[in-house]
Amino acid sequence: MKFTSRPTAIVLGLTLAAAALAGCSEEAGGSSSGGSEAGACAPEDVTLVGQVRNESNPYEAAWLDGGDAFAEQVGLTQDRLTYDGDSTRQQEQISQLLAGDTECLVMNILPNGDSDTPPIVEGAEEAGAYLVTQWNKPADLNVADYDQWLSHITYNGVESGKQIGDALAEAIGGSGGIVALQGILDTGAAKDRFAGLEESLAANPDVELLDDQTANFSRDEALAVTKTLLTKHGDDLKGIWAANDDMALGALAALEQAGRTDVAVVGIDAVPDALTAIEDGTMTATVSSDGPWQGGIGLAIGFCVATGELAVEDIADEDRAWFAEQFLITGDNVGDFTSPEVDAADFECDNVFSRSQGAIS
Amino acid sequence: MTSPAGADTEVVLPPRPQPRRGVSLRDAGPPIALAVIFLLFALISPGFRTIGNVQNIMDAAAVLAVVTCGITFVLMMGSIDLSAPGVMGAAAIAVSLLVANNRNGNDWGLLGVLVAVLLAAALGCLSGLALVLLKVPSFMTTLGVSAVGLGVATLLFGGVQPNISDEMLRGWAIERFLGLAYLTWIAFGCVLIGWLIQCYSRLGRYAFAIGGAEEVLALSGVKVAPYKVAVFTLAGAFYGLAGVMVTSQLSAGLVQAGKGYDFAAITAAVVGGTLLTGGRGGILHSAVGVLLVTVLTNGLVQVGVSPYWQGGVQGLIVVAAVAAAVIPQRRRNQVTK
Repeated sequence: MKFTSRPTAIVLGLTLAAAALAGCSEEAGGSSSGGSEAGACAPEDVTLVGQVRNESNPYEAAWLDGGDAFAEQVGLTQDRLTYDGDSTRQQEQISQLLAGDTECLVMNILPNGDSDTPPIVEGAEEAGAYLVTQWNKPADLNVADYDQWLSHITYNGVESGKQIGDALAEAIGGSGGIVALQGILDTGAAKDRFAGLEESLAANPDVELLDDQTANFSRDEALAVTKTLLTKHGDDLKGIWAANDDMALGALAALEQAGRTDVAVVGIDAVPDALTAIEDGTMTATVSSDGPWQGGIGLAIGFCVATGELAVEDIADEDRAWFAEQFLITGDNVGDFTSPEVDAADFECDNVFSRSQGAIS
Repeated sequence: MTSPAGADTEVVLPPRPQPRRGVSLRDAGPPIALAVIFLLFALISPGFRTIGNVQNIMDAAAVLAVVTCGITFVLMMGSIDLSAPGVMGAAAIAVSLLVANNRNGNDWGLLGVLVAVLLAAALGCLSGLALVLLKVPSFMTTLGVSAVGLGVATLLFGGVQPNISDEMLRGWAIERFLGLAYLTWIAFGCVLIGWLIQCYSRLGRYAFAIGGAEEVLALSGVKVAPYKVAVFTLAGAFYGLAGVMVTSQLSAGLVQAGKGYDFAAITAAVVGGTLLTGGRGGILHSAVGVLLVTVLTNGLVQVGVSPYWQGGVQGLIVVAAVAAAVIPQRRRNQVTK
């Protein structure tokens, strides 16, 4: 039988559309009957939503797990949303959420890019939902100008780039040639981290940057680029600085294929495979932003404000947009990070800003 | 009865078109471009002209070569295929969960590779079926199938990266024969098989004919649809093998194993002289295109072009190479009017 007739096509199309709609609308809605004014929600009426790009990324999966851990702590559940790195889909999910009951809605959001943050903020402000964003926001968008956008958390990329740069310099004995694998060149993360490496190079004058190339944060691209750099620089190459762990892991695969064991590799993000590599001694260092904590903290801040334990006016300006603490992981302390757990004390309302390293300048 | 047949034919018949054997001048553009670019880089950079770097280029071209083998058949038909990222991702995750790995107790070895390739072929078949049964343009069906493949991969992925410990599969990327990694020899094998299919099987010849003049073929009583499905299935199998090869290289199954390979492969095929309108080009053309693209990527790093400039420079050279390669046939190369 051939599916060429028009009715069949229509039926198929409608079925697909219905399936897609059903899939999307699952996460909407929530319990109503909360108080009318801000900060008057009963704890059990709060709806917690965590949204990241995708669960196939171990870091973002751990983020949502951290959100679940916090939700369990307060006797609720978290809605886990993912948008596959698709900005349009993220906005659709947000508008759907905001079209439902928003009175006691708490959202912990990872915006896809800087430009995706303003519409989310405007939407939350209008609907009266409590919003915490992380990583991406335009520099000129000021959190303190909004009542519902409680806080924006990010990490100082210059600091982490410098931390692993210093660890790499130490691992190669303070002198020798290194190469840098940069991230996607037009992202703030890539720029900041590389600036951090340059600071580290200035502090370690005997370490020479032989080459810097981009591998677009990708493990596969890093493999190819590292192979080429290995043939180009041969034994002069003593260390590889990668702007994230995926690229560091690609570089490790290239080193294995080239039969080189004398090259130190550092990355950022603390993905599970990188931690394993550090345990095995094949990788030197990485930096952790503590994904599970990120997943919990945004919900915790929102929950505290929604239930009235914390008032927006009482949050200091430097806690509205801040750098959170990050941790350098080396062979010495890797054991503490292999099974990340959240600490309930971090999410107490008078403790939610305890990891601040200062306001975003 | 005794008509002067011999004399007649000499007068009436136009000269028979030459059967295209060997390298005609028309097909020489891309190989010449490859040689020129190779020589240029060799002149500029001492690091580029080492044996080690040539090995490196061949190894780096392996995965792209296999993807391009698959996509070439689809392009010859005049269709387009954007399903490589999803199909490769699904195959990569499937194979990493079937051979010895850190997620489960499976240890299927070569059988696991075969199952992953079959899964990929099935996804390719799905593209073909959607194309011929539902009459959806191949651009959309393959985009959809790519999403399906990524969905399957994400489901199988389940939040924990599968790392492979299977010695055979890991060895493919590390062990060498005559200076090249096993994966590179696998890519050579794929190009050879692709070339044999293209030249000596009905599937290959019909793929050409469909791209050239589908109506003529249909009017002469050939059922075109099964061949279209078969071509997409074949392409899917090649993508699947490429996904397995990426897994071998990284010793881990990645959902994003095929990211970017769709357009990289289409670029390679077109640079090599396979037309987007179908009916021309072929596996060997595409293989030249793959080498051209890989030499370019490698050479720009060897020469030391700043990463901020590389993307733009690479794009310019690709456009220039395509333009140079297709001047003899430029009237046919337009997909958009």
